[in-house]
Amino acid sequence: MTVRTRVHLEGNLKQALETGRNRLLVTGVVFMIAFVVISIRLVDLTVFGPGARPRLAHVAAAAPNVVKRADIIDRNGVILATSLPSASLFADPRDVMNAEDAAARLVKVLPDLTYSEILAKLDSGARFVWLSRNLTPNQQYQVNKLGIPGLSFRQGERRVYPQGREAAHILGLTDIDGKGIAGIEKRFSDALENAASPLQLSIDIRIQSMLRRELMSSMAEFKARGAAGAVLDVHTGEVMAMVSLPDFDPNQPATMLDDAAFNRVTKGVYEMGSTFKLFNTAMALDSNTVGLKDGYDASKPIHIARFTIHDFHAKNRWLSVPEILIYSSNIGSAKMAMDVGAKAQRFYLDRFGLLRPSDVELPEIGLPQTPRRWGDISTMTISYGHGIAVSPLQVVGAAAALVNGGIRYPVSLLKHRGLEAPEGERVLSARTSDEMRGLMRLVVTKGTGKNAAATGYLVGGKTGSAEKQVDGRYAVKSLISSFVGAFPMNNPRYVMMAMLDEPKGTKRTFNYATGGWVAAPVIKRMVMAMGPLLGMMPNRSTDGKDGLPRLASLRVGAGAGKPRLETY
Amino acid sequence: MIRHTTLLFLLLAGALSVGLFSIKYQVQDLEQKLVSLNKSIYQERRSIHVLNAEWSYLNNPERLAGLASRLLHMQPILPSQLASLKEIDSRLDGLGTASLPLGEGGGQ
Repeated sequence: MTVRTRVHLEGNLKQALETGRNRLLVTGVVFMIAFVVISIRLVDLTVFGPGARPRLAHVAAAAPNVVKRADIIDRNGVILATSLPSASLFADPRDVMNAEDAAARLVKVLPDLTYSEILAKLDSGARFVWLSRNLTPNQQYQVNKLGIPGLSFRQGERRVYPQGREAAHILGLTDIDGKGIAGIEKRFSDALENAASPLQLSIDIRIQSMLRRELMSSMAEFKARGAAGAVLDVHTGEVMAMVSLPDFDPNQPATMLDDAAFNRVTKGVYEMGSTFKLFNTAMALDSNTVGLKDGYDASKPIHIARFTIHDFHAKNRWLSVPEILIYSSNIGSAKMAMDVGAKAQRFYLDRFGLLRPSDVELPEIGLPQTPRRWGDISTMTISYGHGIAVSPLQVVGAAAALVNGGIRYPVSLLKHRGLEAPEGERVLSARTSDEMRGLMRLVVTKGTGKNAAATGYLVGGKTGSAEKQVDGRYAVKSLISSFVGAFPMNNPRYVMMAMLDEPKGTKRTFNYATGGWVAAPVIKRMVMAMGPLLGMMPNRSTDGKDGLPRLASLRVGAGAGKPRLETY
Repeated sequence: MIRHTTLLFLLLAGALSVGLFSIKYQVQDLEQKLVSLNKSIYQERRSIHVLNAEWSYLNNPERLAGLASRLLHMQPILPSQLASLKEIDSRLDGLGTASLPLGEGGGQ
């Protein structure tokens, strides 16, 4: 039996129970909402949120560069210029308690500074003075050890050139704040700042070093005032080496004195002398003004206005076109130029890049000096390299076009990327270029350039010896002696030039200081050192099959050919 | 019944909070490690950078040439010292007798 009991709650008790229920309900709903919010957030974070992505790799990749300014490297990746982290010492003079004592102790650690100088700075009452820039880590440690209050360091960087003087004129240098003030450093100053990858030049430091060594030894032997030289890749226009002497040490800006700071290769413009006969002959052949079998009477000097044109290696007879180049005849060249004409001469010289400033990437570029009035006299003198002044680099750039098949490439200091040749401009026919290669080879085998003949590689080129103008007159004893050469002549790959400024003849050279005596041997030594280094097989064929156009059949040499009348 | 569930949830909550804390500290440790690793990577890169500069300085062609001739008695290679395999071949033919074992695999 069950007894159904019914509890009746009345009054206060019932009300209290109701209140309890309501409160429980409200609390439950609040908790529900809270849990819903939490679960939504949970889904959001785990499924959609950024927490799902790992960020480790990201952090590692974003590591900052060690230094701000990018390196400069050569074509093989050798560092030519780099920035090293360094600390610079500065002071807040108001925090320095005892200026005399601090100055005395600092001088002991940093001998470069003078006591009075530091004392003046520390007594100045300013809030910031530099005391010493770019300390070595050891110096920084020692200054720290002194424990002088008011001194602190600022982390910066210092530009260093591990190769020293080797490529000084190419690289240039930076000022103490790291801004480029010369050379590549100046030209690419902004690009080098914060660049991710190093700047790669076309220079090969090994060849650069060779060229510098050879030019230095020649400069010392002939007591020259200066020297310049360049090596170019004929197929790309890349500068493999470029040296101007005297030079400076970019690590020590104080060595950059007047003459040492002057880049003779790009900034200096000179009357080049007979090397211009190469261009003269090329334009005469290319314009079909003459053929290789034609020639001119060079027996008598030319008298024009108040000038007389002589020959230095006078043969006093009729000379064929190859002979004019081989014996470097001024008379023959002048007559040839007159046949070509001033207009065509100007046209060709401009296309060779000899009338406008060089396009190489350096701020130090010399303006070529050309005659204001391009009359007959100018036409004649320009044919043998007088009355026009250009930089050695312009000459090498133009000479590359003579031997590479007739295409002029812009001369560049930056490494050429890609397999295809850069965009060039055809300035000569391939046939003329072939003929010029043969003629340049003949100059070395039979003419004024015999001292450039290297064993193993076929060298061709042209000597040049120009009298310098001193106070408006030509000084016989002050020469610009040069040699422009290319090798191997059966398939030219490199064209180079060596130039000496005011060399003095020695006993060994019979007191001659001409290009054939002082500059040609530099080219010979360069070829013999460069060839094996670059893995070029030497030519050892004895049967005369050197791949050169046959010019031997031409009348070259004493007594060859019967005199012919001039054609004009 | 209700007491069992409460106990279970309490245990669960306890275990979860312990787990959460330990993971949190682990992450903190890892992050500290990461910072110090990044710092040492930077230091290493800095040293490598300086060492590269020194390497370039030590490899200066002029210096190497001096060292090689002074200590190793070496000289620059001459064009006459270069030869192709073809040239060697013709020289060998001239000798007549010599036959080099060229290693014909699978022979006798």
